[in-house]
Amino acid sequence: MSDPFRDAVRRLSHVPGVSGAMVVDANAGVAVAEELTPEVSGTAIGALAGALFSRTSQASLMAGLGELETVQLGADSGHVLIAGAGDLIVVALVSDDAQIGRVRMEAQRAAVALRAAMEPGT
Amino acid sequence: MRGADLSKLVAALRGPIELFVHDARVRITLLVTGSGQVLAQHGFTSSYEVMNVASLAASANAASNALAGLMRVDGWKHMHHAGSEQEIFLAPLRTPIEQLTLVVIFDSASSLGLVQFFFGRLAQEIDALPDLSGARGSEDGVAFERDLQRGLDRIFSPEGGSEA
Repeated sequence: MSDPFRDAVRRLSHVPGVSGAMVVDANAGVAVAEELTPEVSGTAIGALAGALFSRTSQASLMAGLGELETVQLGADSGHVLIAGAGDLIVVALVSDDAQIGRVRMEAQRAAVALRAAMEPGT
Repeated sequence: MRGADLSKLVAALRGPIELFVHDARVRITLLVTGSGQVLAQHGFTSSYEVMNVASLAASANAASNALAGLMRVDGWKHMHHAGSEQEIFLAPLRTPIEQLTLVVIFDSASSLGLVQFFFGRLAQEIDALPDLSGARGSEDGVAFERDLQRGLDRIFSPEGGSEA
């Protein structure tokens, strides 16, 4: 029996340039599934990405922009990409030489798959 | 815990607890010893509330340790109770002298993940405090009541203030 959370993480982490991927409970800020390198703390990434996405979602709604789809953070040596999937978020840690457009597309695809998997009756 | 030790300990805990409250965006925190002695608090307005929560924390701690014994595990990392509007997080803080318990109440401004994450940092900071190395905990029922009252008197005195 397939696990949609692990499937989403596995697919995303195999995209070139993605060094880690997580599915996180957005409200609780805790990991549901993850594939990360040992030096990366899933607890920290899940908590902070959940808080960031939650806050930015509120800002988006209050600004009349509607539901937030993705958040992308750029840093010196890479990116953090977060895609909303209802009560979940998909987080990708991306190196700076990755094709960020492809990662974004795959993250959104994973988010759509998770939304579908979370619907009642599925 | 001896008075001189207590003063040093409370002073040493103030900074880390304030940082935790700020970073984790929690509403209420309470740091108690295993005997119920209140070492630090943030967010309470009355000693009655502190006493109730400290007592409940001590009993929840004892019950969960007993449960851990039944399950033949060494202990627990934290307990989390999710309410519809507020959530409670209780976790043991291991120090060189004795195990303390941190009680945290938070709402939607924070999350379990944030609390867990910043609790980990707090635990590391407190574990490394040199001020803890000379203090000793109280060990009997009489000391429990005395220490609990002493802690309440201290944190709600004009000098002690209501914040950790």
